[in-house]
Amino acid sequence: MPSAECLRRGRPLPRFASESHCLASHLPVSIRPMSESRFRERLETEFRARREKNPRYSLRAFAAFLGVDHSTLSQILRGVRRPPVRAVRAWGRKLGMGPEEVAVYIAAGHLADPSSSERMEQLRHWTAEAMAVISDRAHWRILEFSRMPGFTPDCRRIAAELSLSVDEINLALGRLLRLRLLELNQPGKWKALIGPGTGEPEFRKLALKRVQQMAAEDHVRFVGGR
Amino acid sequence: MGDPVVQFQIISKAPEETAKFYSSLFGWRVSANNPLGYRQILTGTADGIQGGIWPAPPQSPNFVQLFMAVDDVKACIAKAEKLGAKLVIPATVLPEGDEMAVMHDPQGMSFALWRRKVSI
Repeated sequence: MPSAECLRRGRPLPRFASESHCLASHLPVSIRPMSESRFRERLETEFRARREKNPRYSLRAFAAFLGVDHSTLSQILRGVRRPPVRAVRAWGRKLGMGPEEVAVYIAAGHLADPSSSERMEQLRHWTAEAMAVISDRAHWRILEFSRMPGFTPDCRRIAAELSLSVDEINLALGRLLRLRLLELNQPGKWKALIGPGTGEPEFRKLALKRVQQMAAEDHVRFVGGR
Repeated sequence: MGDPVVQFQIISKAPEETAKFYSSLFGWRVSANNPLGYRQILTGTADGIQGGIWPAPPQSPNFVQLFMAVDDVKACIAKAEKLGAKLVIPATVLPEGDEMAVMHDPQGMSFALWRRKVSI
């Protein structure tokens, strides 16, 4: 079910919208998967239902029923304010929810909404890529190795030469390919994409710049990044 | 001709433990005796597809990727990009001559394109 808040603010719907619908079919109707706005939606639904029964039912009357100032309730319904946990507990009880159901709404209020956790995931990814490429020398050494005469593209040999495990080499190899710092375009040929005279300090700068560029395409900016 | 799913790949933070677990459970054979040191999974039957295990970067979750065989990896990348996919690893020729690319579909799920080495 689309979040009313997303529709109102014209934001793209969270990706989980359709998944939560699927999940909902396995859960009791009253305990759907939730985001922070779900309790607000529940209040809206309840208020709408009361108005349908009695068109003269006002927001003031609903606020009085819940035991809250009507302007506070109005702010909560507009998404300007978050309902405090004690209010979720007290209002939930007044609306006939059991303690387990209230606990789910409270827990959901502590979860980041899907779009912000997705952004956090991207930030985590690009920070980890940047950290790996500047702190793990395997990247540089693989490139250096690939430029040596008589180079054989055999990760087991590279690992033995560099006293690293094959997994460590393959992790760095995957990263070099993802960051377009290495190209494998014909059998047996590895091409370092860093310019022939590039040394290790320049490589680190270049690699970091590449991470920043790719992160920027994902709308992730590091502090100090341009 | 269709583009069949030809391989599954487990991306694992602990590839050796993953290999041990699935070999013990299903009797699969895992061999890394190839230039990439790639852990190939041989299920021991011609039914279904074979697989492999690749190390996961520290920031990545453990997950499974499917490999689809295509006639032209670069053409398929271009088509996938038009459909909203994102290129992660460009067309890459592996040490033994197979060609591969990794992409994210529009939902962010990882999948790979694969073309077996062409014998001349």
